[in-house]
Amino acid sequence: MRKKAFLLMLVLFLGIFLVACNSDGEGDSEDQDDTNSEDQEQDDEEASNDEESSLSGEITVWAHPFTGEGDAEQEMWDEITTSYEEEYGVTVNFEQIPWSNRDQKILTALAANNGPDVFYAIPDQMPQYADEGMLLELDPYLEDHDMDDFVESSLVSVQWQDKTYGLPILQEAYTLFYNLDVVRDIGEDPDNLPETWEEFEEWAVKAKENDYYATAFSFGGSMNGTLYPYIWQAGGEILTQDDEVKINDEKSVEAFEYVNKLYEDGHVPEDSITAQEHNEMWDSGQIMASMGSGINLQILQEKDEIDFGIAPPMKNEQQQTYGTTGMFVVPSNTENPDAAAEFVKHMTNSENQRKFNSVTKYIPTRESAKDIFDDQPYLSQLASYTQYALPGVIHPAGRSIMPFIQAELQAMLEGEKSPQEAADAAAERIANEIN
Amino acid sequence: MQNNQELHEQSHNQKQQKQKLPFKTRLKKNWEKYAIIYIFFVPIFIHFLIFQVFPFMFSLVLTFMDWKVIGESEFVGLEHWKRFFEDDLAHRAIWNTVLFSIYYIIPTMALGLILALIINSGVRFAGFFKGIFFLPVVTSFVIIAGIWGWMFQGTADGMVNIILGFFGIEPQLFLSDSDQALMVLAGLSILKVSGSTMIYYYAGLQSIPNQLYEAARIDGANSLKMFWNITFPLLKPIHFYVAIITTIGSFQIFDSTFLLTGGGPNYSTTTIVYYLYEQGFTSLNLSYAAVLSYILFFIILVISLIQRKYLGKDTQIY
Repeated sequence: MRKKAFLLMLVLFLGIFLVACNSDGEGDSEDQDDTNSEDQEQDDEEASNDEESSLSGEITVWAHPFTGEGDAEQEMWDEITTSYEEEYGVTVNFEQIPWSNRDQKILTALAANNGPDVFYAIPDQMPQYADEGMLLELDPYLEDHDMDDFVESSLVSVQWQDKTYGLPILQEAYTLFYNLDVVRDIGEDPDNLPETWEEFEEWAVKAKENDYYATAFSFGGSMNGTLYPYIWQAGGEILTQDDEVKINDEKSVEAFEYVNKLYEDGHVPEDSITAQEHNEMWDSGQIMASMGSGINLQILQEKDEIDFGIAPPMKNEQQQTYGTTGMFVVPSNTENPDAAAEFVKHMTNSENQRKFNSVTKYIPTRESAKDIFDDQPYLSQLASYTQYALPGVIHPAGRSIMPFIQAELQAMLEGEKSPQEAADAAAERIANEIN
Repeated sequence: MQNNQELHEQSHNQKQQKQKLPFKTRLKKNWEKYAIIYIFFVPIFIHFLIFQVFPFMFSLVLTFMDWKVIGESEFVGLEHWKRFFEDDLAHRAIWNTVLFSIYYIIPTMALGLILALIINSGVRFAGFFKGIFFLPVVTSFVIIAGIWGWMFQGTADGMVNIILGFFGIEPQLFLSDSDQALMVLAGLSILKVSGSTMIYYYAGLQSIPNQLYEAARIDGANSLKMFWNITFPLLKPIHFYVAIITTIGSFQIFDSTFLLTGGGPNYSTTTIVYYLYEQGFTSLNLSYAAVLSYILFFIILVISLIQRKYLGKDTQIY
């Protein structure tokens, strides 16, 4: 009797295990059958009463938590998806995916063919995915679409090799936030913040005389908010979409030189070489100006301890800065491309950009939607700078080349290499990486 | 003689009979004897196959492919392995890892032993000290790393720099200096891990029979002599175990680099696992990352074998 019981248990164990192994695949195909039959039913329904005719079925949309307040955000999504469902007769399954490991989640879901039909992407993801043929080209759907209303710089990050793969929903603009107490202390005018490299350097010298750091670099982190803006301001580039390495061009090297000079002259904290942030020093009033965007504004306003002013993005040859762009894209293996493309258009129209960005406090990518900040002077000031904001290096290797540049820059700041040598070495590594 | 032969034949027949037992019966017998073992073993074994053996084998396949998460993966033979031999950054990463081990293994063992001696010496509030020394082990690494990074801030008003200032030493860059960064990271790991090596040594110390010390005392040995001639050699199995786990730990060092320096300055803290992570998850070169993980596997394997040969030979205490 006992033996039989044991045997039974073993069979049960194995059975459960086998079922667990199988259920994924089978379940999916069943699900798909279900949705297909649902599609069919909906098709029948819509054929009779929908003038949008061709759209039907359902789509799955993946986005991430953009704020800490779940309720307001959920309400915003409900409104947007409901209005879409009503207009097009397509059911939307909205899923909020946590930010952590988002790349792996999206990649594995798409590889297994059960990913979303629309998902949120950031600029360095887009070309990497588009280059692998993972994204649906949206140009055929945009022929009659009003594209002029989009801020020009926001479209840079949705295009790869002259094809459009997404539409932007939000933008940011990084620029220098000044501690006005420090500005007054060094005898400068808070109403006339520096606009060029030269002016900034003049202020930096005065700041040092008064024992302040002019600004801070966190070269232990991304180059997007540190070196890149200086390269663009100098009129240089890092890497073009046609694989041209430009980081050691004359103009780009000027940026290396400028950054190096600020470091050597002691205008930035000594640990900038690998620091990830200098929040504590900024909070304690040791730093005159610090790069920031909407999130920093929010923190400054909440704490209300520092009297601050926002300067326009700096200019040497060009006025330029960094600012990420968030977009919605459609994977190429979607089963409902038409409905998905229509959702991307719907999501990024003026009305929904207003709803989305009012809740998330990012900057709309449509000029017409920027009126949500009319009564918020700081935000509308930041919003006016997105036209100068570039989204980083738009290239499939955009992310992987960053550690090379970082390392060479660090070697330069440590005094092991001259700016030209560092830029050349970075260029060589980049060329190796993309070939 | 005849008898003998009969006996022999008999036993031969018995053997044959035994062998001829039908498969079913044998299975049943085996099952009767080991049922409980199978029931506990099989689920674990299946788990082991899926989550250990399969990834291990699959990553070997990966090394010969140009693996793409999406899209066609192609077979490229030994290309990624060849790339490893030409990749100066990978060599630099291995060298950094070796350096890290030098900074880390002996100090961790020494500090763990010293702490164990302190709490074993019958000092007052031994339990309290044990708790204090063990605290970093149970605290989240992210938090400890944050505190460490703050203490070793490379500006004049960093805490350690202020202390150095009392002795007239110039402010140091610490994590922003290629020559110091790896040592500062090793210091962090020593702080984090020596609490657990202390526990191993403490257990070892308690297992040393007291009469050895008594005999030594009668012979007139002082405490230093007793330590070198009794305590230290009798802790050999513990030395071996701690050496192995700290070595493996040191070759797998990743989190402190990831949290504090991002591999910099100028690759000076890029360890093999950090480089592997960067290749795999930043550049999505999963195949090359798999090659690097195999290299790491071989390094750890070889070192463990060497350690076993020289340290683990003799685990008897008498």
